[in-house]
Amino acid sequence: MTSKFSVIGQRVHNIDGTEKVTGSAKYTFDVVLPNMLYGKVLRSPHPHAKILKIDTSKAKKLIGVKAVVTGKDTLGRKQGIWRRFPELCDEEILCREKVRYIGDPVAAVAAIDEDIAEEALDLIEVEYEPLPAVFDPLEAIKEDAPQVHDGVELNININRHIEWGDVDEAFKKCDHIREDQFKCSSQAHVCMETHDAVASFGHNGKLTVWTSTQSSYYIQRLYADMLDMRESDIRVMNRHTGGGFGSKFELDSAQFCSAILSQKLCQPVKIVLSREEEFTATKRRTPMYYFLKLGATKDGTLLAKEARVITEGGAYTAMGATALYLTGFFSSFPYKYPNYRYDGYRVYTNTEPSSAMRGFGAPQSTFVGESQLDMMAEDLGIDPIEIRRKNGMTPNYEVPGQAFIQSCGLHQCLDSIDEHINKRGKLPPNHGIGVASYGFMSGGIFNWFNTPYAFSAAVIRINIDGKADVYTGACDIGQGSNTTLAMIAAEELGIKLEDVRVFSGDTGICPPDLGAWGSRQTLMSGNAVKRAAAECKSQIMEFAAAKMGVNIVYDLDIKDGWIHIVNRPERGVSYYDIVKGAIRGKDGVAIMGRGHYTPHRKGMISPAYSFGVQAAEVAVDVETGRYKLVNVTTAHESGTVINPVGIEGQLEGAIMMAGGYGFCEDQPMDDGKILNPSIADYKLIRSLDMPETDILEIDTYEPEGPFGAKEAGEGLTNPTAGAIGNAIYKAVGVRIYDLPITPEKVFKALREKEKKAKSK
Amino acid sequence: MKKELKIKVNGQPYDLFVKPKTLLSEVLRNDLGLTGTKRGCNSSSCGACTVMLNGMSVKSCSILALQANGSEVVTVEGLAKGNKLSPLQNAFLDHGSYQCGFCTPGMLMSSTALLTENPKPTKEEMKEGIDGNICRCTGYNSIIRAITAVVKGEYKEAK
Amino acid sequence: MSYQCPVCNKVSSSALDLSRHMIGRGDKAHRDWINSKGFKYSELLTLQFKSFGGEGYKALSEVLEKETKTKG
Repeated sequence: MTSKFSVIGQRVHNIDGTEKVTGSAKYTFDVVLPNMLYGKVLRSPHPHAKILKIDTSKAKKLIGVKAVVTGKDTLGRKQGIWRRFPELCDEEILCREKVRYIGDPVAAVAAIDEDIAEEALDLIEVEYEPLPAVFDPLEAIKEDAPQVHDGVELNININRHIEWGDVDEAFKKCDHIREDQFKCSSQAHVCMETHDAVASFGHNGKLTVWTSTQSSYYIQRLYADMLDMRESDIRVMNRHTGGGFGSKFELDSAQFCSAILSQKLCQPVKIVLSREEEFTATKRRTPMYYFLKLGATKDGTLLAKEARVITEGGAYTAMGATALYLTGFFSSFPYKYPNYRYDGYRVYTNTEPSSAMRGFGAPQSTFVGESQLDMMAEDLGIDPIEIRRKNGMTPNYEVPGQAFIQSCGLHQCLDSIDEHINKRGKLPPNHGIGVASYGFMSGGIFNWFNTPYAFSAAVIRINIDGKADVYTGACDIGQGSNTTLAMIAAEELGIKLEDVRVFSGDTGICPPDLGAWGSRQTLMSGNAVKRAAAECKSQIMEFAAAKMGVNIVYDLDIKDGWIHIVNRPERGVSYYDIVKGAIRGKDGVAIMGRGHYTPHRKGMISPAYSFGVQAAEVAVDVETGRYKLVNVTTAHESGTVINPVGIEGQLEGAIMMAGGYGFCEDQPMDDGKILNPSIADYKLIRSLDMPETDILEIDTYEPEGPFGAKEAGEGLTNPTAGAIGNAIYKAVGVRIYDLPITPEKVFKALREKEKKAKSK
Repeated sequence: MKKELKIKVNGQPYDLFVKPKTLLSEVLRNDLGLTGTKRGCNSSSCGACTVMLNGMSVKSCSILALQANGSEVVTVEGLAKGNKLSPLQNAFLDHGSYQCGFCTPGMLMSSTALLTENPKPTKEEMKEGIDGNICRCTGYNSIIRAITAVVKGEYKEAK
Repeated sequence: MSYQCPVCNKVSSSALDLSRHMIGRGDKAHRDWINSKGFKYSELLTLQFKSFGGEGYKALSEVLEKETKTKG
């Protein structure tokens, strides 16, 4: 069957590909401006302390230093991305009175080069009064624990609750109930480009910023709040961005400090965080204590689930509030629980703030939920695939009071994975295949940011040569959204991909868009772009119809630059000729189309959900506990595949990151100090550890998405840790309840198991 | 006290004066404006700054510029011949072996050095060849597929 | 039947929902109201996160059942 699409579904080069393979792609890290200075940030060495005095006089005297700023040079405002809730805007960035974690900024320096700026930091004298600190949320939540923020009872930053059905009654009807506890670890984003910004205040009081960000619009708005400026006096540009993964859509210390310094000097100031700062003083994945109760009948029907979660919030709210909600929502995924209750508590601690990271609370809930589900299946003597089939979500399912799921290919995914496992046949000794199912959203509907704008908007201009310029606030951070959006525009307009240029992530010229997070851009920005293209197309069609003089009952369409009668494709005119004529006919005005998308009446969470099932195969060395990830096979569905090369990349990349979460990545701390703040010490999956990755693509069509497409970015980060845990159990019969599943933990569990066997 | 550094980069000889503590990566980026070479960690663990030094892959943040005195360096900017991309660059494009692109110059240099040294590597040798380079986006397998395609002769050197 | 938050007027369909809203909102105004009914906000929370069953909410919802029910 030939595809009905011309551009969508084709294997194409990313539109910025040649720049990236030749080293000519310019990142914020590469930006150099005339008269530019370099900045550095001084950070707290204490997890919790009062700032008594900051003496910057010696630093200011150092030759080459142009300015030193502290919290006193700011307006003293607190910011947070949950702008609707003032009490959750709790981060000053440059602390005035108190520091709350090791890494909290206290001062910043601008100098003629990085070395002098670094030297100046040593000359700043800060007098601290250390305060008692608290690191573990289970300690911080106690009545007599030190207070991280004044007036916050039990250090509980936020609590979130979700409930439907009658959970207590339902548990009474269950034949079997399990209660299990888990602990999910932290994880660092490790973007290859560290957080950086070049901020430039002009003498006219206007601010221009180049920065590595997932949302230029958010950064612009947060700057406006913190600097008391009108947002249109601030231009934020994301050029090429060296990864984000959830770490780059809140105002950060590089952005804020460079702006404060530049404001004083009216010179551009560049701040690039060091790799150590990136590990210790940005944000990270939220660690969670998970308490789960699951009840089922003998035949494996899940009747009720209850989840209690206490998360380690760190020093500030950040996006942790959203992670707390989403982990609760996704704890019910992807199954039809008739009765469900979730209670989540985010607790302030004196540690690096935890926030958004790819998967956004769902990798945690999927690890714990899929582990427990396998245990439940074993208790009941049911096959793991079978219990998932029995309870899995189906199309047009309503999560009571929460969400409405239209397309859903979970059952086809289960069938494909079942087939894959059967094909593998009998495994070698100490090998095991574990499965995990997951679902994820295509962008959130929530508006805690309090934007008055449409969630996504796009403008398209058709030039005299027929080329289309797409303007979108969406941010390409490497995931390839510019390519995906260009493909959508090209398909809708019926032109070639080379005929589309994309201008993105520049608040000076692009309409606002919430940016690259929550797997929202393909669906939301994609819909906005598609609508803008449709508006251009309808204008072009007016001219074409006039030119062709066809009977009005005929439908016209454009394909491969040929405007034609749908039923008689040979009868047509060139798109390029029509555009030329049309622009002349419009008195020389270029053809412009606008489009926007804000989800309405789509439930509370997201307009669409994608699903998948993953099977991980491990080979365990029972002597040492070491294990190898042999193969990870994923059956997944993301609606119509717009950019197949992009999806493969998302999938394999997710396995590197999510496999790392299950396998090796962790941020151990000692009294709030992260012990492995370097790439040498923070173990992540390198090429030799990377398993084979096979993809089983399942066809679905999402009515709400552009051309039927939905999320393919974050959902894939959810299943791997759970699949690895289940595989280890299948291989050697030990269950690990806390992440990451290190060889040491497997070794200990194996010895424990042997001891038990002997004592019997 | 600056010292003299004679170095050939992408075929072009340079005569520079640099501080003794300056890293090779800093000279490439700051003095020569070759910003394709990235800095991911500055402690020789991520591989984003990989270049070829006398035909071998080297992390340019791991050596002082003066240690490269008299050497020949190739950076990512030196891979294409005029407007013709190298076979590996073309293969990276076709296989989507890059996403954010920040590690890509280093990946290309490690892969190029690998094939210079060993034109017919096994899959395991390919993995070893890029094991010093972190990529947080792609999961490496698409990079291995690109190298494999070049080894199979699917991409011809531009003349 | 509906239940109206005595602090911010948010309307809920059950006393238990309203209880979740009030404890969940957790700002000073909501806390003060809860404490004025003889509860200790922190104790309700502790009751909540220490065990399954949502006991903290249930305790508050008994008061809300009596005091915040409105017709409509």
